[in-house]
Amino acid sequence: MKKRIYIFQNGELKRKDNTLYFENEQGKKFIPIENTSEILIFGEVDVNKRFLEFTTQAEIIIHFFNHYGYYIGSFYPREHYNSGYMILKQAEFYMDMTKRLSIARLFIKGATFNILRVLKYYQKRGKEVEDVIVVINDILKKTHLTDDVNVLLGLEGNIRNTYYQAFDQITENVDFSFEKRSRRPPENALNALISFGNSLLYVEVLREIYQTHLDPRIGYLHTTNFRSFTLNLDIAEIFKPIIVDRCIFNLLNKRMLKPKHFLKELNGVVLNEDGRKLLIQEYETRLKTTIKLSGTKDEVSYSRIIRRELYKLEKHLMGEKEYAPYVSGW
Amino acid sequence: MVKINGTMINYYSICHRSVWYLIHGLEAAQDHPFLEIGRFITQESFARSKKEVVFDNLKIDLVKKENNDVVVAEIKKSSKAKKTAQLQLAYYLYRLKEIGITARGELLFPKEKKREKMVLSEELENMLKTTILEIEKISNMEKPPELKKIPYCRNCAYRDFCWC
Ligand code: SF4
Repeated sequence: MKKRIYIFQNGELKRKDNTLYFENEQGKKFIPIENTSEILIFGEVDVNKRFLEFTTQAEIIIHFFNHYGYYIGSFYPREHYNSGYMILKQAEFYMDMTKRLSIARLFIKGATFNILRVLKYYQKRGKEVEDVIVVINDILKKTHLTDDVNVLLGLEGNIRNTYYQAFDQITENVDFSFEKRSRRPPENALNALISFGNSLLYVEVLREIYQTHLDPRIGYLHTTNFRSFTLNLDIAEIFKPIIVDRCIFNLLNKRMLKPKHFLKELNGVVLNEDGRKLLIQEYETRLKTTIKLSGTKDEVSYSRIIRRELYKLEKHLMGEKEYAPYVSGW
Repeated sequence: MVKINGTMINYYSICHRSVWYLIHGLEAAQDHPFLEIGRFITQESFARSKKEVVFDNLKIDLVKKENNDVVVAEIKKSSKAKKTAQLQLAYYLYRLKEIGITARGELLFPKEKKREKMVLSEELENMLKTTILEIEKISNMEKPPELKKIPYCRNCAYRDFCWC
């Protein structure tokens, strides 16, 4: 299994002969190129063209994050799986509004069902989340009443915001109260966690898309501008509740993440290096966790489930089998 | 019209669905362990005698001259799927014959230290002609041929794609 490499420190990434290394005042660290799937850069890191050429050859994706842990963008090697047929299909389903709406609705449905799954899990454990569940179900019904993708995206936002209201109930951790969703920059610790966790997932889905024939620039729920990646945002919606949010709840409920893992700055709140490492560790473990898929004997990891989600979408586009989003069994 | 290559011929005798995938540019994900092994064997065993030849849209593993004969060789990881490999090699011989080159074929199984010689018989040639027509039919299909579980699915690089 190839590994993700995370770089938190400041320094320089270089190619030397046939290896990669990271260098700063503290020293040099080698990066085994054949075992690396992607590099996530959080520090202030310099790279040069030679380095990028080399990583492109090795099909390594480089992802850049800003100071707040917010995703900036990726250096995506030129595509290695190219199917003109699939790209045309992808575009066809984007341009035909009926087809696009049906996919967008399915993404929302998957995302919402997974949100409800998380809420019900905590409801069974005595958390007061009934009201939120009722409201979410109401909004979900409205998604069938509109034929406008932007309205749909707005409804999805409403569902998420309603769901966030349950966070304080679930965590019962005064140091991490939700207040309101704030993004660029996050204004409190919980928001910083959510932003950082979501960024990790965007990158993960992008990686999986790279292994398929899909073009990450054509999304269905998030509007495509053909300049940035949107399909990964669409697919990530489905998995945020069961991957990212569960990691956050685990870390907060076990009191592993503490206020000392955050820095309050003039403009917002940032996770420090130790805090990021804690979330990444939890996240990596979750991605590798295998679960039994209903109706099969297979035990698959979440990474694999994300890949399958993309394959399912491809089959939908091929007109072979209607896409049904993944809904967690617990 | 579809340009047929050796891999398509190879896949045809295993599963028609995979042929449709290939024609539509849907290569299997390369992170599948069995594909890795295949690549590894071709690279390692013949790393020193880089003789891979590209002829039109065909990629021939090895071409050599013995006495006055042109010998075309195909490298495979195991002799288990010999029939399939034979047809693929026959196709190379057939295409060469079309442009006036008579060649002999050789199947190499470096792992098993085995080699097998073959020539393009009339029987093989007829089989190829039918196969080519069939592949053309598959290429014109709107959707991939119907999904059927076969023993090969278990180790197929398309497994997740087909069965998700
Ligand atoms: S998984 Fe089975 S059906 Fe699919 S391409 Fe492979 S052999 Fe054919």
